[in-house]
Amino acid sequence: MSAIENAKQMSKEEVVEKIAALDLMEYGLCHEKLSDRLNAAVTEAQEEGKELGVVAALNNADTDKVLLEVLKADPAKVMEGIAIAAYAMGAEKMSIQIPEEDTKTAEAVKEAADAAGVEIVMSIVDIRANKGSAILHIVTAANLADAFADKYEAGVYVSVNGEPVKKAACDTKVSDVADLSGAKAVLAGYNYYTPETIADMTVAEANIDNGVLKVLGEKDCIVSETEKKVTASRRQSCGKCVFCREGLLQLQAMQKDMTDGKGKEDYMAITKEIGEAMRFSTPCTMGQTSSEIALSAIDLFESEYVAHYKKKECPAGVCFSSETVYIDPKLCTGCGDCMDVCPKDCIEGKAKFIHMIDDFDCDRCGKCIEECPENAIIKTSGKLPKLPNRLTKVGRFKR
Amino acid sequence: MAVITIDGTRLEVPDNKNVLDCALENGIYIPHLCHHKDLSPLGSCRMCVVEVEGQEGVTTSCTLKAKDGLVIKTKTPEVDRLRMLALELLLTGHPAECTGCPKYGNCELQMMIQYIGPKTGRLKMRTKGFKAVEENPLILHDMNRCVLCGRCVRACNELRGVKVLQYQKKDMETYVGTLHGKLLKDADCRFCGACAEVCPTGTIRDKIIDSEVKREDAVVPCRHACPAHTDIPRYIRHVKNGEYDEAAAVIREKVPFPKALGYICTHVCELDCKRKEVSEAMSIRDIKRYAADHDTGSVWKGKGKQLADTGKKVCVVGGGPAGLTAAYYLRKQGHDVTLKEALPTVGGMMAYGIPSYRLPREIIADEAKVIEEQGVKIEVNTKVEKPAELLNEYDAVLMTIGGHAGVRLPMEGNDYEGVILNADFLRNASMGKETGMGKRIIVLGGGNVAFDCARTAKRLGAEEIHLACLEAREVMTADDEEIEQAKEEGIFVHPAQTFERITGDGKVTGVDFMNVKSFTFDENRRAIIEKEEGSEHHIDGDTVIFAVGQRPDITEDAGLTLGRGNSITVKDMNADKATSVDGIFAAGDAIYGTKSVIMAIESGREAAIQMDKYLGGDGDISEVLAPVQELNPYIGECPGFGYLEKKHTQVDAPESRSNNFELFDHGICDSDICAEAGRCLQCDLRLQIARPTTWGDFSENKEA
Repeated sequence: MSAIENAKQMSKEEVVEKIAALDLMEYGLCHEKLSDRLNAAVTEAQEEGKELGVVAALNNADTDKVLLEVLKADPAKVMEGIAIAAYAMGAEKMSIQIPEEDTKTAEAVKEAADAAGVEIVMSIVDIRANKGSAILHIVTAANLADAFADKYEAGVYVSVNGEPVKKAACDTKVSDVADLSGAKAVLAGYNYYTPETIADMTVAEANIDNGVLKVLGEKDCIVSETEKKVTASRRQSCGKCVFCREGLLQLQAMQKDMTDGKGKEDYMAITKEIGEAMRFSTPCTMGQTSSEIALSAIDLFESEYVAHYKKKECPAGVCFSSETVYIDPKLCTGCGDCMDVCPKDCIEGKAKFIHMIDDFDCDRCGKCIEECPENAIIKTSGKLPKLPNRLTKVGRFKR
Repeated sequence: MAVITIDGTRLEVPDNKNVLDCALENGIYIPHLCHHKDLSPLGSCRMCVVEVEGQEGVTTSCTLKAKDGLVIKTKTPEVDRLRMLALELLLTGHPAECTGCPKYGNCELQMMIQYIGPKTGRLKMRTKGFKAVEENPLILHDMNRCVLCGRCVRACNELRGVKVLQYQKKDMETYVGTLHGKLLKDADCRFCGACAEVCPTGTIRDKIIDSEVKREDAVVPCRHACPAHTDIPRYIRHVKNGEYDEAAAVIREKVPFPKALGYICTHVCELDCKRKEVSEAMSIRDIKRYAADHDTGSVWKGKGKQLADTGKKVCVVGGGPAGLTAAYYLRKQGHDVTLKEALPTVGGMMAYGIPSYRLPREIIADEAKVIEEQGVKIEVNTKVEKPAELLNEYDAVLMTIGGHAGVRLPMEGNDYEGVILNADFLRNASMGKETGMGKRIIVLGGGNVAFDCARTAKRLGAEEIHLACLEAREVMTADDEEIEQAKEEGIFVHPAQTFERITGDGKVTGVDFMNVKSFTFDENRRAIIEKEEGSEHHIDGDTVIFAVGQRPDITEDAGLTLGRGNSITVKDMNADKATSVDGIFAAGDAIYGTKSVIMAIESGREAAIQMDKYLGGDGDISEVLAPVQELNPYIGECPGFGYLEKKHTQVDAPESRSNNFELFDHGICDSDICAEAGRCLQCDLRLQIARPTTWGDFSENKEA
């Protein structure tokens, strides 16, 4: 029998009791017992006079979205989990929220959603509009379905350095899933850790709430990395609340200034003040969690920030726009090797044409420099030579 | 009930009521921006944060529900710190310069800055770079000033159900707007103005702001424009709901001639109707007519006030709209009122000026009957020559003699045989008497009366009719409708003409004209006319009708001081309608010249108030006839609302109407009336929305 059929053999109350007895927890950022979460939603619906419902989604703050893999791997299972929660609450309204831009996933799960009577909504979760609904992490829904099919095993989903997501047992050590040698910092979930502190932690202890584990080495700049994450959060925020909208903007602007060599000492205190206030000044995880990256960065890697704003130096050699990577138009043969390795997809060119780097998107990682068979790609902090501004045939460029 | 304590003050408040409103209603100010009394709490601006005893941190008081025993502190160092930070953040995306903002001095954000005093100069400031949207009618959007309090979004969605304004995001900047930046009309906006009403800053503003008038008058301009201040949106709503008796009762609260007005009112209200900015103005008059035509009287009859007899006697001289109105209300105040009318029936210009094809005579008789039934004694065929003598018998006299003497222009030939004056012509025509008109008529004048003359002549069988006036076509004072209908009936209209002379030899043979090149007024309001050289031309005719104004038919012999245009002089046109003789008052056209029925009614009402006070009453003639109307603020969605076109009345074809005096405009038909009433923007709904509570309200109270 399927999980939902199993559940429906029991009364609503028995389902809730079983969820409580299994000690199922809400996955992601909101650590609490699932049974409490369902009951709280029922109470809220009564108090506010709202319709009961179940919403499954990623945490709003999750900009990496690697845990969507759990949905993509088995959409029907997640829908079943939603249906079990709805049955337990006596709710009829069910929805799954998928990131706005991810129409592919939406299409992929549509069949399963329709079959289960779950509506697909393309956005982050509007907490206020969903009063009376139990908001569950997609993984929670999957776990719930597993539990009622007697297949549930606790564990943590982890994607290491962008590798595919794997489920690890809770007591697995972080150092067993990721190679920490040469690491400067580890981004686990929404926070940075030093390699020393995280090495002994289990995956369950490391708060890898969005499935992301990223090892940063000497060539990674904490400030620049933080700026990217904060920018991603700004993009994702709905912008209705002051602290999330304006707070993130300030955090991002300060990180950006730091990477541009315009940072100030004040920024450290202001980051702390805004970042800490954000934790409790918004209703959803978007605002509550998105400042953590900046807070843990200035806390653990203060010296990198000091180097940026005092000495105008980036220890990882990533920052300052004065450093540019360019392709020497006299040396380029138009082979296209650089284009293939560029992780930012910011090299333009075609066969037998001089290739060009879009400086705006380039993060100066240097992969193309290593790849170029002609040694035509150069990183410099000096003045740039005259470069082509449109695609030009090899050999046709005149200075 | 719950007992909560705010800053040491114990308050008894309803369970679960939000703490912010509890505080504000009990005189305790907590700053707030996104909160609005009529909208659901959002908790996004963080201005209203407070500390709750026994709880860590701060919480927004707008989302905090009152529970027995709550102890709240609104001013602690932590609260102050976080408020300052929130406001500091909020202001980073708002223009720093306040003085250039149209909302300066009325801005809730500005007051918040004054109250909280946020830090400045620390954070990154930015200009959002949105272009102000000025293309929409009535409402202006300047999203650079927006602080995203979300009030407008909630007002548009929750309160009104119109769902036009939403949060939008462009690049990384959140803003409020329509989907895909559509213009409001294309987004099915209903132009109710709730968004502008609740906006705390200068972001969403009314395009038309008349700071000269009171707020409610600016918000509901039709009601203000109506001389009698009829509650137009209210009766339009009744008509929309098919409640014609209620609608008529609403109209009757201000005017005793709903039906007559429904046919012939000059409807100045429509000039100010906000709907005209969106598409076409409402057909206010025709809606009134529909209500009055369908009124059974079930609502208003027997409801009005009738005070006990005072023993005072009043004589009203002249039974036109001003006199009838004044008589009606004076009677209701308990006075013994006699109305003396020189002509065979009452109605004044309604009966002897306005032709019956526009206003059937039964209507006047019916409406006058209501006044008679109220106890006003009407004496017809009674001309009063010496009003002062009436004071021997009456405690007060009101002169509402109208303007029944036509004006003869001082020009060559003005006394020839075949020259007729407008008032005489229309009166004789109305009474079925010989008018003295020939076959070829030339009407001189461009107002509604001139057209009444021309069209009456047509109906009396004139063969060729010309109408000439000094004004250019665009500035002719007659209604466009009137001009167009006259042309349809074959009347030749010649705007921008000077009247050189009436030709003939003791008997009219025609009129010489010249074309007007320009017609302006100098700084002393004297007319400056420039004629086109060599444009002399002649129109043949055997009859000239002067339709260039009317004046009261009275001389100094009556014993009253007369002023400009032979009008009866009163102490103040509005505030004091007493004449030079104590106990004699005057109102209507007799004091200000020929205007309109609705002006005369208002003048009559005002005279009744003043005379009642003179006679010892309180002067309160107000009446409640219609039931209280439950207003539904949730107007909902209406696709294509902005584009809804005006519904027109059913008008008979020129050939079937121009040879008889039958009513030819049959009003808006049954199947269109609801749609026409449904076009109303319901501007008055906006007045239901609570005004902002500001710090100033509280500090004033404290000083008092």
